[in-house]
Amino acid sequence: METMRLLSTRMTTASVLSLLCTFTLLGQDTAQKSESVFQLTPLKGVDFTLRNSPTSRKYLIETMPGGVALLDYNNDGLLDIFLVNAGRICDPMINPFSFARHDPAFWNRLYRQNKDGSFTDVTEQAGLANAGDTNYGMGVAVGDYDNDGYPDIYVTNFGKNILYHNNGDGTFTDVTEKAGVAAGGWSVSAGFFDYDNDGKLDLFVARYLDWSIEKSKICGNEKAPMYCPPGEFPAVANILYHNRGDGTFEDVSVPSGIAAKKGHGLGVAFADYDGDGYTDIFVANDVTNQFLFHNNGNGTFTETALDAGAALTNDGKMLSGMGVAFQDYDNDGLPDLLVTQLPHQPYVVYRNLGHGTFNAEELETGFGVLSGKVSGWGVGLEDFDNDGWKDAFVVQGHVFDNVESYDSSLSYREPPLLAMNRNGHFERGDVGSNVPVAGRGAAFGDLNNDGWIGVITTSLGDRPQFYLNRRGKAHWLTITLRGRKSNRDGFGARVQIGKQVRFVTAAGSYLSSNDKRLHFGLGSVERVTVEIRWPSGIHQAVKDVKADQFVVIEESAQP
Amino acid sequence: MIASVLWICLLLQGQGGEPAVPPEVLAQLQAGLDAEKQRDLDAAIAAYRKATELAPDFAIAFLRLGNAFMSKRDYAQAIPPLKRAVQLSSSSVPAHQLLGFALLAQGYTADAIPHLDLVHEYGALGIAQLQSGQPAEAVANLQAALAQNPGDPDLLYYLSRAGTALSSQSLDKLLSTFPNSARGHQAAAQNYYLLKMYPEAKKEYEQALTLRGDLPGLRLELGQVYAAGSEWEKAEELFRAETKLQPGNAEAAYRLGDALLQQGKMKEAVVELRRSDSLHADMSETLYALGRAEASNAPADAEHALQRVIELEKESLLAGQAYFALAGIHRKQGKIEQAAKEMAEYRRIQTHNEQIQAR
Repeated sequence: METMRLLSTRMTTASVLSLLCTFTLLGQDTAQKSESVFQLTPLKGVDFTLRNSPTSRKYLIETMPGGVALLDYNNDGLLDIFLVNAGRICDPMINPFSFARHDPAFWNRLYRQNKDGSFTDVTEQAGLANAGDTNYGMGVAVGDYDNDGYPDIYVTNFGKNILYHNNGDGTFTDVTEKAGVAAGGWSVSAGFFDYDNDGKLDLFVARYLDWSIEKSKICGNEKAPMYCPPGEFPAVANILYHNRGDGTFEDVSVPSGIAAKKGHGLGVAFADYDGDGYTDIFVANDVTNQFLFHNNGNGTFTETALDAGAALTNDGKMLSGMGVAFQDYDNDGLPDLLVTQLPHQPYVVYRNLGHGTFNAEELETGFGVLSGKVSGWGVGLEDFDNDGWKDAFVVQGHVFDNVESYDSSLSYREPPLLAMNRNGHFERGDVGSNVPVAGRGAAFGDLNNDGWIGVITTSLGDRPQFYLNRRGKAHWLTITLRGRKSNRDGFGARVQIGKQVRFVTAAGSYLSSNDKRLHFGLGSVERVTVEIRWPSGIHQAVKDVKADQFVVIEESAQP
Repeated sequence: MIASVLWICLLLQGQGGEPAVPPEVLAQLQAGLDAEKQRDLDAAIAAYRKATELAPDFAIAFLRLGNAFMSKRDYAQAIPPLKRAVQLSSSSVPAHQLLGFALLAQGYTADAIPHLDLVHEYGALGIAQLQSGQPAEAVANLQAALAQNPGDPDLLYYLSRAGTALSSQSLDKLLSTFPNSARGHQAAAQNYYLLKMYPEAKKEYEQALTLRGDLPGLRLELGQVYAAGSEWEKAEELFRAETKLQPGNAEAAYRLGDALLQQGKMKEAVVELRRSDSLHADMSETLYALGRAEASNAPADAEHALQRVIELEKESLLAGQAYFALAGIHRKQGKIEQAAKEMAEYRRIQTHNEQIQAR
């Protein structure tokens, strides 16, 4: 199709040189190996600490935060950073419970990126301070739910979730009550997607456990008290909110069939795995079968993971699913799944076989060697070396802060895993840092607009880590979709360049939200054709697109 | 039971030409027995004590008094009258039995042993020996007691403890006598492994290997420590070395094959797993691993191996896993209906085993 509209070329390699220099300078105090893919780089102006407040009472929520989002909230072309904080927990908590979120030490934070690559804390002026004393922070989802061109922010909590509407003037308004998306209980990862292809983003909220401060208990023994495993608490249903298009949402969990399945959800990701034009949902569950909600195209879903081969390990055993990425790693055009989990079992790769089924191939893909003794949370399948194959990055760290006391082969703090994709087989890459952290959230994106994907991660009791991509010589292309009939973000679109396919979403990973722009590594290819299948059903092709640029593609008016 | 035994003894003593018992002593004994029937142990104790005072050389009175204290679980108070009973009637089985129990209950295990041994009270004797640091003797006597009372959970518990203590004692002896022997380090390593102290276990095995690199099994065990920590490359290296040392060892070949499988080295894994199967046919774990290793490149062979696992295992969890693996193979072949049937079998076996566990 030649009806495409190539709106603009935002930034060329040459035009970002000054920005690159800034990032390089910021990272000069970090010792580096020449072969490493990333450089652990301080983020100037970001003074955030994820305060989870661990106690001797082993409240389970302490182990789980927190999320990070990469978004351009003010549409200035530079990615900004939103970080979710947790809260103060007293030892023990005394009723009435408060997580002291009024205290600035426990605020979520929005950092606006400046032109020189530094960041400014704009939390208070943006109206994002004080996330409610009864809310212990967890994760974040980003999407333009009202199609006004500005990304909105949804924060999940143990407590009530909050939807912040982006006013387009640098400020946000808490519209939770009007929108009807507070949820309650213990929400974890969430994501915006358009399940009914009506052009308006809906919202899915994964939930973990039926847990409360009152129901909390301690496991293990006196010498080594432990956080209790999820099986000690009842499973809960996830929530699906349908966007009515008037600023409000309807909880359709029951009529859609989502509420029919209870689990211990932690991660969520979206893609159309069977190519029927409707976005499906995968929920990474902890010590429960994984859930694959097939979108029936009529407003209902059917949970199909077990029969589709995406519920268990390749040994038919349950996994402790935590984070998930839902993208095509083997360039066969079908979205695959990478699910992170606890040690003694590798991260699971569910390779999409076509005809709606998957095969667990963690051993064949190399993850048996890469991940048997680590605990993975946030995860992404991104092409870090721009060779045309999506690599994997996992932020790691065990759940229990005293894990060494009962299994000395394990560690609470672990460095992240970088797994480079070599024609569908993964090999350990040099992440550029062996600093161990209690890693949790991870968001992926091109923070410095150089065409090379970086990673920002969160870790308990620590500052965020930014892995700046050290770049190479390969070509790349970054695409921003602009939906017209489809949702403005283009979430749910399938975009293909050669054999590479990306499914447009900001969701995935764990508790986090990624740069929504589509990044393709092109290797030595300098001109490509971009093929798009929009959620509206419109197919569009953009030919002869030059590499090494940022392009915006608007949905064509005609099919 | 004890009361009737005592009355028999009393009668026997009477028939044996013992000095005649004064009627007032008999009256106190009768009063004590009546009080015991009424469960008034304090009154019984008072009556028996009076009897001992009236007849200080009358063993039965001391025995009754000791027994009353035993009934009250006042073992400390029971010991002196029972000792006196034994002193007065050294052949009295009930006196030795009760004194042995009382001493054992109070923690005088070494003192209890000769009394319990004399009356062949094997269970209590085994416990006393276990607590006195004689685990070998304890094992023998607890086994004798179990022969008389098969399946007794208390005896099984103490036998298990005695076995552990014997193992530990043997290890201590090994380590103290030959502190730097390969076997000593191996035994220590095994203990660390059971406690999931893998770094310590590795260190001990490494020391054992330094001393006796020719010892069969050391690398196999060390490889399993690495495998438990998912360190498959190192595990492979050790299992491979063990297969060179013991080329006819089916387990070593299986472990090597599994380590290769875990690393995704499917073709190499198949070679070792087939070799293991040829050395020891129909080991279910080997066949299951073989099925998984062949699934990608030789699905027909994989099916054959997995079907054999199902034949051998029938309703076990491993049989369920074999069905699960078969479903995976058939999904890849596009045989969705066949895969669905195998998943149904997988679910059925899972449910069956969950029900067994719940019971």
